[in-house]
Amino acid sequence: MRRSAAPVLLLLLLATLLALPQVLPRFHTYVAAIVLLTALLATSLNLAIGYTGLYQFGHAVFYGVGAYGTALMLTRSGLPAPVAFLVGPLAAAALSLVMGLICIRLSKLYFGMLQISLGSLVWAVVYRWYSFTGGDDGIHGIPLPDMIASPKGSYCYTLIVTALCVFAMYRIVRSPFGKVIQGIRDNPVRAAAIGVDVRLHQLAVLVIAGFFGGVAGSLFVVVENSVFPDMMFWTFSLEVLIMCLLGGMYTFFGPFVGASAIVLLRVFASVHTPYWSLLLGTILTLVIIFLPDGVLGVFARRSIPKEDPGA
Amino acid sequence: MDFAANLFSTGTLSQILVGLSRTTILFIVSSGMSLILGVLRIPNVAHGSLYMIGAFAAWSVIQFLGGGLFAFLAAMIVAPLVVAAVGFVLERGFFSYLYEREHLMLLLLTFAFMLILGDLVKIVWGPEYRSVTVPAFFQGSAEIFGLPLPWYNLFLLLVGPCIAVFLWLVINRTDLGKLARAAAVDGEMVGAVGINVGWIFAFTFVLGSFLAGLGGALIAPMVNISLGMDHSLIMETFLIVIIGGLGNMWGALLGSLIFGLTQSLGILIWPQFGIAFPYLAVVAVLVVRPRGLLSSTW
Amino acid sequence: MRKGVLFLAVFLSAFCMVGSGDAGDTIKVGFVDTYTGPATTFTNDVLDGFKMATEKINAKGGVLGKKITYVTRDDKFKPDIGLTMAKELILKENVDLLVGTINSATALAVSDLCKKEKIPFIVTFSKSDKITGEKGHRYVFGMNENTEMAGRATARALSKKKFVKYWIAGDDYEYGHAIANGVFNHLKTLNPKVQLLGQSWWKVGETDFTPYITQILAAKPDFVIVATGGGGMVNFQKAAQSTGFNKKVPFYQHTAIELSTLSPQGQNAPEGVYGTANYLFYFPDTKENKAFVEEFRKAYNRYPKSGALYGYMTAQFIAKSFEKAGKVDREKFIDAMEGMTLPSPVGNMEMRACDHQVTLPMFFGVTKKSPKYDFLIAGDIVSVPGKDYMPSCAEIAKVRAK
Repeated sequence: MRRSAAPVLLLLLLATLLALPQVLPRFHTYVAAIVLLTALLATSLNLAIGYTGLYQFGHAVFYGVGAYGTALMLTRSGLPAPVAFLVGPLAAAALSLVMGLICIRLSKLYFGMLQISLGSLVWAVVYRWYSFTGGDDGIHGIPLPDMIASPKGSYCYTLIVTALCVFAMYRIVRSPFGKVIQGIRDNPVRAAAIGVDVRLHQLAVLVIAGFFGGVAGSLFVVVENSVFPDMMFWTFSLEVLIMCLLGGMYTFFGPFVGASAIVLLRVFASVHTPYWSLLLGTILTLVIIFLPDGVLGVFARRSIPKEDPGA
Repeated sequence: MDFAANLFSTGTLSQILVGLSRTTILFIVSSGMSLILGVLRIPNVAHGSLYMIGAFAAWSVIQFLGGGLFAFLAAMIVAPLVVAAVGFVLERGFFSYLYEREHLMLLLLTFAFMLILGDLVKIVWGPEYRSVTVPAFFQGSAEIFGLPLPWYNLFLLLVGPCIAVFLWLVINRTDLGKLARAAAVDGEMVGAVGINVGWIFAFTFVLGSFLAGLGGALIAPMVNISLGMDHSLIMETFLIVIIGGLGNMWGALLGSLIFGLTQSLGILIWPQFGIAFPYLAVVAVLVVRPRGLLSSTW
Repeated sequence: MRKGVLFLAVFLSAFCMVGSGDAGDTIKVGFVDTYTGPATTFTNDVLDGFKMATEKINAKGGVLGKKITYVTRDDKFKPDIGLTMAKELILKENVDLLVGTINSATALAVSDLCKKEKIPFIVTFSKSDKITGEKGHRYVFGMNENTEMAGRATARALSKKKFVKYWIAGDDYEYGHAIANGVFNHLKTLNPKVQLLGQSWWKVGETDFTPYITQILAAKPDFVIVATGGGGMVNFQKAAQSTGFNKKVPFYQHTAIELSTLSPQGQNAPEGVYGTANYLFYFPDTKENKAFVEEFRKAYNRYPKSGALYGYMTAQFIAKSFEKAGKVDREKFIDAMEGMTLPSPVGNMEMRACDHQVTLPMFFGVTKKSPKYDFLIAGDIVSVPGKDYMPSCAEIAKVRAK
């Protein structure tokens, strides 16, 4: 990628996207916002899974905690809205740190499965703590600042936040820190041998991924005005994982593409068929068999060598 | 609340027996998952779907044969075989080509199968509840210290140890079982000495699926058979396998015991929060032994 | 990165090309409900009841010269999908009003959306009392009983019994707690002598109730309030049957006597279980009810359940309200619907103006075998009229002000 063209292209794209609500019907604007925030969620997960090789199987929990943190602050605290939008993601990052400290000692699948079970505990707490989280009914009618309450406003806010976060993550991946975590992914033993604190780096990635996952959750509050315990259920975690895989987890924009594809498919397929799971499952099976590196991965020249699961 | 009085009441023994019968189902299903995990290294998310198919298939068999003890026993054999056949198709048709892939991909493939199988069950059996009644032979309950314990639960208490012994024999006394055990420790080495690892894998997957199907068939009379019964079970199974030690069959037994008993006794000690006890046990185990109670095969 | 940008552009353009829906010369009703999984036992009846009524209305020339049409969207029991589908129906399909959801979380989320979009929303199966209570507003209507109503009706029926020592058990989620509290709190005010021995709560989807049952039996209560919903109804009844629980201690479940709970179990359902239901196809034995059952059986070859009544009455209320409004106008529709009373298979049903909650009778009975059917039915049926168990308008105003 040459430095000259990309920023211009990106700015153009951003401008087009900002202008979209002027031409798009309202429903499409809304779906576009969902696409954006889900794409942000998938991209944040990919920091852990694609770039660091951590089997983050419970990512939806951070999304949910970000959303619940924001929603609870908005409905209960009486503090100004920007505080709420910061508290949600920070809570997600804090949880990410705690869960990371517990799981980090374990390797690969063990890490993932322990994380999924810890995530289920968090889900269970949210699901059952009626007086605080609203239990299985969730929280609805969350008050928002006027600026972002309108459909167009919420879309533009989502777009800007997503763009900023994706840009930030892009910089992280390209930074020396990003190189180190990719080194850890490719060979943790060698990374440790040259003096890298593997655990510390992995923890840092988990916290960053959790934070941006939480940001995506806070955007969900802006777009949907509601939160539900379902959004942190483990099946959704796996669905986000699928988005990364579908788009290509060894490319930066792969998860973005995967998330867009799955969200659009779900919205427009749900209208026409009751067998959405069957459709998604079949597509996924085909991708795993024929495009193991995902849609964008096909274009990437380098493919990652198979990793030893026992490492 | 008077915890001590509750704990030392006459109900304790019957509560333990009930916990043990719950353990049976958990053990059968999670030992299947543990086998597949140990040998194939696949955390099979679709395992719950196989369990669900087992329950639906049992319903079909009993429906077809018109009920009664014979139909019930036939269902206990036919339904797991049907599920084993599904497992065989999955393993030979898909997984066998993909073992070289990253295990993350295989996990996601099992998730894809969970989605597909869920919808296929809906297409084949429809979205409504299905219900199987306990055959007359097992109806009613035995009195233990004045409290009822259903005969069917007692039947499960008998089945559990039988399955454990059966599994022990298969794994320790048959060639295939020994090879599977060897493959669990070092698959490449087994391949290197000229043994067809593919068939060991197929055997393991089919056996694991059979166990999932058996679990489903055994639970069928106790619940309403419905879509979504896979979701509620799979998480418990995961946790059991984790606290037992990945891939260790005896770990699955131990994990199921802990799960079943803590839940039953938890109800006795603190009824409102009985369901939290197994999870607390899981956390406690993992804090002390992060890799599970028994040695994991990997 | 350039490839990523390229892909985004392709997606974007493909996305923009998806056309939007149109509004024809019909009254278009949008259904958002669960058409996947166990809940379909209830939701299909709502839809079929609605279909049956609208076909008849349309055959007679429709409403205001317009036919009533409907579109359905499956929310898969997930609130986020339900919310997306509701937006799709409102923004893209341009429906005139929304109907649906068995999932209370979805109902509350969609209700909030409808309040903002000013679209009437008729809730047909969610049982949360927040929908027309605490979170009620101008655009939402309740076409079925809710947990508060079920609790009060049951408390009224139970207060006439001699039980003193109660135990509460149930599915550990909003619905379970709401039903249990609804029954017991009102029972306590009606009969201060009753006492609560203890409670047990199990996770939703619990399959093995035996440990809970042994625990309850050990405490020797006179009566048990079992607050299960959905799949838990049948699961618990099976456990009660196999342990003989129902023969040792009488217990109550809301909807225990309903067809959807009893028919899958055939003759093996437990006898002597107390339950409440909004609709029984064999009671009341009136001309109207018989005609309704007959018509439904002819159309779908099965007995109607509660859902059929809700769906059928939803269509009636929609048709009559638009007729009264004189034109297809949402605000006028709401004004017309407020306070409207219509005849139904179970007697008159009133849409209360103060909280938009329909008033309908509740039947309290005990399961028993019947020579006529191959499943259990309810006996000793007591009909509790709607006005006897509804929270008063003043009470509603109080919770809404909170």
